[in-house]
Amino acid sequence: MDYLLNGFIRAFGLLFGGDPETFSAIWTTVAVSTLSIVACLAAGIPLGFLLGHNDFRGKKALRTVVDTLLSFPTVVIGLVVYAFLSNRGPLGDLELLFTIPGIAIGQFMLGMPIVVAMTANAVESQDRRLKPTLITLGASKRQMLTATILETRYSLMLAAVAAYGRIVSEVGISMMVGGNIKWHTRTITTAIALETGKGEFDTGIALGMVLLAVAFAVNIGVSMLKRRAGQ
Amino acid sequence: MSQPICELFEIRQQYCGRDVLDIPYLSLEQGSITGLSGPNGCGKSTLLRIMAQLESPAIGTVLLNGERTDAASTPGHRDVTLLLQEPFLLKQSVYSNVAFGLRARGMEDEKERVYEALRLVGLAPVAFCHRKWYELSGGEAQRVALAARLAFRPALLLLDEPTASLDEASAATIREAALSARSRFGTTLVIVSHDMKWLHAVSDTVICMERGSIVKQKTTQGENA
Repeated sequence: MDYLLNGFIRAFGLLFGGDPETFSAIWTTVAVSTLSIVACLAAGIPLGFLLGHNDFRGKKALRTVVDTLLSFPTVVIGLVVYAFLSNRGPLGDLELLFTIPGIAIGQFMLGMPIVVAMTANAVESQDRRLKPTLITLGASKRQMLTATILETRYSLMLAAVAAYGRIVSEVGISMMVGGNIKWHTRTITTAIALETGKGEFDTGIALGMVLLAVAFAVNIGVSMLKRRAGQ
Repeated sequence: MSQPICELFEIRQQYCGRDVLDIPYLSLEQGSITGLSGPNGCGKSTLLRIMAQLESPAIGTVLLNGERTDAASTPGHRDVTLLLQEPFLLKQSVYSNVAFGLRARGMEDEKERVYEALRLVGLAPVAFCHRKWYELSGGEAQRVALAARLAFRPALLLLDEPTASLDEASAATIREAALSARSRFGTTLVIVSHDMKWLHAVSDTVICMERGSIVKQKTTQGENA
């Protein structure tokens, strides 16, 4: 058990000593997850709103597709994105394979169904009295749209937090599309996988602690927002 | 006699092919108080929803201030408002809830009007303005919902069982506030209630409905109005 204890001690040393390799993985994770969550929210919230707000033919089938995408394995997404971005793929000319934007594309595919599904759910489960209340208060169509988005704000934040939690903790996409290149595309999760494989537990534990802290913050955020959304 | 603020001609409404409302003619005089009574499901709320332009009748015409209205193309009317049976507050502060209608209309003197409306419903503005929607009791929420409507001084205020499920003190405040709206702003009131004593005491006219039709219309003079 000593190696675990020593691993923890050395992990603190790496974190508080500002180890460049450890912080490179942390920085890459922050950069790629920020890029992907921004894209997820920008595309996912309007799509989710449209899906939840409108009734149209094929809506149920579309909801089923979105729900299926929620449980899509990250390695399969990684495989698809790799196939598209590789030299032989249709988007090979963009030279995005083994780059941060490349990983962000894969993570976007992972996070967007979560944002779309949760936004649609939030809009569908909106209080039935909201619309008549807004009409009787004299709101225009634009004011009604704005007010409806404001009313679902906690649920939208919940969607963002849930999607971020999934994005930041995935390993399959980052490994396959990013290639786990040191100083370049090595994220926290791919670094943990690599370092553990090499028997370097201290770096793995240090990065694991950062990831756990992120997961902890995400979970606190989720429970707080759930409470607010339910009030 | 003053010009009617609202007139309904040959109104019929159907839900799932079933007739729920059949009103050949109804007129509301400006500044009057009309009480609506009748058993549950007799069409009172449907009538209010049509007047408030929340829904269009299957057949018939609604005139507001002499103008034909169409809920399908332009839901709601800025001179008319309805206090729903179960009030709903936006997930915002009391101040923002009361100010919503004023902002929607681009009205000035927002703060003064919000404070005035809160005082009318018996809520101290300074104490309540910053409270969140979840920090209110059922009675307080109902009063805030009414204040949100009184703030823009509507020409026609429709109240759908405003005192149902409220304690006596809150109910009395709601009743007083509704009557104040008429005396201060000249607001025309239509009140749906099962409290016949109150309806007869305040209404100029009490309308009894059954199975979607008006079965009795009685002028009462509104003794205490």
